Amino acid sequence: MLILSRKLGESIVIDGRIHVTVMRVDGEVVKLGIAAPSEVPVHRQEVYEEIQRSNQQALTRQSTPLPKLAGKLPKLSVASPP
Amino acid sequence: MKCAEMIETEPPVVARRDAVRMPNGMLGFEAIKDYLLVTNPEEHPFAWLQVASDIALAFVVMDPFLALPDYQPDIPQADVEFLKLKQADDALLLGIVTVHDDQRATVNLKGPIVVNRHTHVAKQVIIANAAAYSVTHPLPLAEAGN
Repeated sequence: MLILSRKLGESIVIDGRIHVTVMRVDGEVVKLGIAAPSEVPVHRQEVYEEIQRSNQQALTRQSTPLPKLAGKLPKLSVASPP
Repeated sequence: MKCAEMIETEPPVVARRDAVRMPNGMLGFEAIKDYLLVTNPEEHPFAWLQVASDIALAFVVMDPFLALPDYQPDIPQADVEFLKLKQADDALLLGIVTVHDDQRATVNLKGPIVVNRHTHVAKQVIIANAAAYSVTHPLPLAEAGN
């Protein structure tokens, strides 16, 4: 892992197009400003981990009984293509 | 005329099976790339996303817009390009349902599966506005006995 020291207001540039700037340091909290092209997804690592855990919990055996929902739901688009 | 022909019968309910290819797999299951989307009208609003290599394994999925009618997922541009989506109608969204041990059921609205209806290529997408939604959005369950 590359470790760089940065001061307030200083930046790093990734791949010539992603700029990460230290905006504020407040005790243990560092605020980062990220300027990246719109096609570059930027997410907190926790979001990935949360979805990963959720997927692992969701994977099930086909024999699992489906939950019974309250009320009538309208016709859904899952029934349409693909 | 044979008697059998006089009996009005419901047409058999046929589950629809569509191969879905996820080149990146799912988060936590990157190696599993081939799935079958099994839709059975009797199981509405749920469908199954079966692992093609082991159909006993599956995710329960549903239309996330049924779980939250004003759901407004912002699909990142990189994913739109990856899936070659030309217009909104090209995308089929599937919310992954978790059936919890206590019978609660929730749907993941942060990371829906987006399927290109024409190519059947899909990707689990972290929506750009993920912070506005939950991975465990509760589904309203019928009271026991209903």
